[in-house]
Amino acid sequence: MSNFESFTAWLVDFYNFRIVLQYADQIAAGLWNTLFAAGASLVFSLIFGTLLAFARRSGNALIWRPADAYIQFIRATPLLIQIYLVYFGLPSLLPFTGRWPELWLGIMALTIHTTPYMAEIIRSGINAVPKGQIEGAMAVAMSPRQRMQYVILPQAFTNTLPALLGQTAILIKDTSLLSAIAVFDLLNAGLLLNSERVRPKEGFLTVAAIYLAIYAVLVVVSRRVELKLGGAAWNRRPA
Amino acid sequence: MSTSALQVAISVMPALMAGLVETLKISAAGIVVGSALGLLLGVIRGQQFRYASPAIGFYLHVLRGTPFLVQLYIAYFVLPSTGISWLKWDSTTAALVALSIYTSSYVTEIVSGGIRAVPAGQWEGAMACAMNRWQSLRYVILPQALKLILPSLAGVYVNLIKATSIVSVVGITELTRQGEISILRFPADVLLIYGIVAAIYFSYCFPALKAVEWLERRAARGS
Repeated sequence: MSNFESFTAWLVDFYNFRIVLQYADQIAAGLWNTLFAAGASLVFSLIFGTLLAFARRSGNALIWRPADAYIQFIRATPLLIQIYLVYFGLPSLLPFTGRWPELWLGIMALTIHTTPYMAEIIRSGINAVPKGQIEGAMAVAMSPRQRMQYVILPQAFTNTLPALLGQTAILIKDTSLLSAIAVFDLLNAGLLLNSERVRPKEGFLTVAAIYLAIYAVLVVVSRRVELKLGGAAWNRRPA
Repeated sequence: MSTSALQVAISVMPALMAGLVETLKISAAGIVVGSALGLLLGVIRGQQFRYASPAIGFYLHVLRGTPFLVQLYIAYFVLPSTGISWLKWDSTTAALVALSIYTSSYVTEIVSGGIRAVPAGQWEGAMACAMNRWQSLRYVILPQALKLILPSLAGVYVNLIKATSIVSVVGITELTRQGEISILRFPADVLLIYGIVAAIYFSYCFPALKAVEWLERRAARGS
């Protein structure tokens, strides 16, 4: 037997890629659901996170106290419990949600979980905009709404972009917990392969490699973003 | 509902408390082992060795880039299937290994960051006093670094406590799993029981988070 053949035999024994290829469709479907859940939750949590950041900054105690309580509750309880509360608990409050697909409830739970984290990042971005910017906007007779829309928010979002991307990476990893409520995500595709073929290496190492690939893309994107935001001086830094 | 909410709460409480004790034990073990491993790797990474530091960087990326649940399944299903005899462990060991490695990835990054944040002059000063590398670390660098990293470490521990809920999926009967079991007894009270479980987690993670904030404020003041 040639070296190459013995190597292939060893490889197939350790990691049989033919089995993985048989499950390509399921893995692709799982990957799609993972990316869809992460994408939808990202959009919703950015929208609600901005609103929550404003609520938290409000001077009215009737507004900022509930907002703060919500933020603290989410930060001090595990995501898995939050997912269970939404998935098992919500239908007993609102019966019609019991007929919703798992994916919808999963996106809802992830949005509820990610919104406070996004809100805290956005709030710190708003607070970090220099006072002179607001004074400048007032000097050109902008209304409070215009100041927020054209001066403060654009800077708040660009300055916190690295942190927002970091939270997005966490969100993508968090989608793996949706496998616990029967959403057919990437991890569930791996679990299916493992339970049907009893091949844990093929099931879980493949899934881990795909998550790593997604993460690698995000790392490259956030490096680029940081270099871009760093501006000309940063780009001329000694290597 | 035949039984009142209070009765249900009282009758599931012993099981949930047993789960809480288990959660605390697992968290404590994860904190100890994870911190020890993280401190070791962090000290190595903090000194910019030619091969060791990039290797540890790769280890961190792999752990940072995969969900904890996937790491747990690898520790639970994949490692025991490799045929290496000492990797054939039970679910508790698998959960502890996964939690410790997960914690170590964060501790490593924090410790190495703390070491790098100590000014280079401190190293030079220690060397000028004829200290070797180990002595400089032990008596000069680490005491200063530890002060800087304390708030971040506390934050990691809170994350670890929350992550222990995930090991319920491999059958560890900690707080979350005890909640699931209690729901088998009282299927109509899902919301109530998960609400109680959430309240228990909240009642000790919230003070911990407040302590983190206090430590951060103290570090920012520069005491």
